[in-house]
Amino acid sequence: MNIFHEIYSTYFRIASEILKLPHITEKSIYEIIKRDGFRDSILFLPQKFIPQNDNSDWGLLIKKNNELVPVTKNKPVEILTEIQKQWIKAILDDPKIHLFLENNTIVSLKKRLENVKPFYNRKHFRYTDKFSDGDNFCNQNYQANFRKIINAVKSHEILEITFISGNGKKICKEYIPLKIQYSAKNDRFRFFCFSVENGEISTAGIINIGRIKSIKPTGKYWKNNISTDEYFQKRKCVNPVIVRISNERNAKERFFMEFAPYEKCTLSDSTDGKCTVKIWYDYQEETELLIRLLSFGAVIEILEPHRFRRQVKKRITRQYDLLNKNCRD
Amino acid sequence: MGGFSELIKKFDKTRDYIRDFFIYGFKVRNDFDLKSLRTYDDEKRRIESWFSDYIRYDRSERGQKVSITVDSGIISENPLYQAYYSKSFTNNDIKLHFFLLDVLHNGESLTLKEIVFRIDINYDEMFDVQTIRNKLKEYVKEGIVITEKKGKTAYFRLSPDRAEEFLYAYDGLTDAVKFFSETQEFGIVGNSLLKFAHLKNDLFVMKHNYIVHTLEDIIIPEIISAIENKRYVSFISFKSKSNKVKNVNQVVPLKIFSSLQTGRRYVVGYVPSIGCFHSFRLDFIKIVKTGDIFSEYDSIYEKFSQDLNYCFGVSFGSVNIETVVITFYIDEKNEKFVVNRLEREKRNGILEKIDDNLFRLTVKSFDSFEVMQWVKSFTGRVVSVTGDNKQAIDRFYSDINKMYKMYERGEQ
Repeated sequence: MNIFHEIYSTYFRIASEILKLPHITEKSIYEIIKRDGFRDSILFLPQKFIPQNDNSDWGLLIKKNNELVPVTKNKPVEILTEIQKQWIKAILDDPKIHLFLENNTIVSLKKRLENVKPFYNRKHFRYTDKFSDGDNFCNQNYQANFRKIINAVKSHEILEITFISGNGKKICKEYIPLKIQYSAKNDRFRFFCFSVENGEISTAGIINIGRIKSIKPTGKYWKNNISTDEYFQKRKCVNPVIVRISNERNAKERFFMEFAPYEKCTLSDSTDGKCTVKIWYDYQEETELLIRLLSFGAVIEILEPHRFRRQVKKRITRQYDLLNKNCRD
Repeated sequence: MGGFSELIKKFDKTRDYIRDFFIYGFKVRNDFDLKSLRTYDDEKRRIESWFSDYIRYDRSERGQKVSITVDSGIISENPLYQAYYSKSFTNNDIKLHFFLLDVLHNGESLTLKEIVFRIDINYDEMFDVQTIRNKLKEYVKEGIVITEKKGKTAYFRLSPDRAEEFLYAYDGLTDAVKFFSETQEFGIVGNSLLKFAHLKNDLFVMKHNYIVHTLEDIIIPEIISAIENKRYVSFISFKSKSNKVKNVNQVVPLKIFSSLQTGRRYVVGYVPSIGCFHSFRLDFIKIVKTGDIFSEYDSIYEKFSQDLNYCFGVSFGSVNIETVVITFYIDEKNEKFVVNRLEREKRNGILEKIDDNLFRLTVKSFDSFEVMQWVKSFTGRVVSVTGDNKQAIDRFYSDINKMYKMYERGEQ
């Protein structure tokens, strides 16, 4: 058993969609392939469905009264495979499952899958740098708040949320939750939201679910279009950070691996092994980016923007002074 | 399909290419160490086709660079999953798939002979009996078909578990699958489930999301199976910079280690030939082969569990445990969040307040370099560092001096 198997493939999925229709035109075949296929599938796939004179097609459709009809009589079904059952069994042992399923649902799913071996066991994995103060997913208030947020993301209901901010202030406002974010490193959930003031969308914010004190449904729903792209755009830095990386101590490999989750591009890549990279980031997460860059030490240099470079310089100067003062003392 | 195909037979070569395009966005065509440039061109075209929305083209003095670029903190679906959906197949594979689903549709149990007959009659297609038998055997293994014996005759029927019905039968399960389909532990399987049920993750995004890890999902099941069965494994690695394939034989795998900071994942195992624990980068491993049972597994695992207490990252020392003591200056009144950060990130370290605004962290570990790499993220707050590993401590001091000069110089 292997997930890299044609039964899960894009081509099989497209074939299934086509065979579900009682009849289909060539134009619709092209449209389905364009919608569900890879970029170039349109060049290879239509002729496999449309009957060809040399019989090079798959023989899944035949021509009947100027239309194409499936040779099969029934709509194809998607059967849950053994690997998929094993994976569901495995996630039932994750504490986060309690955020989604009631205990009796977990019990009945476990019973249904009692003869299935879990695909993996959490004890086989160790996360070396996971933070120790993650959220308590078994807390009932937390679970209830989490579900209210999920429902609001789906329904666009405006919620009145009271929470304690990072600065320790109690805040109570109306919000529209957009998406829920999980960080495996922090082992925490937060959600992206817009605050609503006088019936208008105001600021783009992010709230830790663990900091919520209460959630009151308002019964009001946001009826207009709401764009998560717009939200992310609002939080994106104006000026990306530009970093020069040397090739000492395998720095390039380490840097590109660690910063893989960021949107970036390589500006220059000189023959002496140094390269310059531009990184875009969420401006509210600037400090996190800064300390991660600092952990690379002298093998990288922050070039721009000047404001960011000044912050780095300030920390390094302070560090230099601290060490030298200590040496002198 | 003569010539170029979007589909691939084997995953390993593609894994290597995707990693190069995604991680090392700075590579140009000539950097790819290949027997034929056509291989590069085909792999590049496939990658462009699978990940078209995320391909970026940049010009450099060394040539055009093609890379996969994505802010993985804001996407709903890992784009690299597409690679798993590109397995090649034969004409018979696809025909038989849909013919079998069709003839077994009403839940009836049929013998091989009956299935062969119905395929012949219904679709006017003559298949070799052995071909259909093999396909049925494969589908029994995959869980699509169930087989039962009545007397000496084997009967086959379709599994009654329809993906969509199953997911909707349990309140909250669709949302759970949406979430776990983007997590590190085989999220690709959850994503395949969503695709079967015509669903998309429209609720969650992941921070610190190393989407490239999914490429290793192809080799981890074999390693986990070896762990569960207390067996040896051997690895065949991808070609290194020196163009050599490195093989590692006779390793007893114990755990998968994952760094959520550096993005690296390892299999940690015991190497009997050198008598110590060792970590191997998962992204460098091309093929895993399972070997014999390791008879001393339980006693070695016990030793490993004890050693984990001194493992700050992934390094296991052969002999010594090193101590490193770091003193931090933190303004307790205004910077309590820094103390909190130390508390949650210190792992096995012991944090003590030694004076007003002064905190001492003592870490005993196999590798002080790993500790010092993390300490550098506290640049601006370190008062002193002492410890057993002089080299690691000297590097910290030297780095700070170099950085000081680097940023002073830049300002002139």
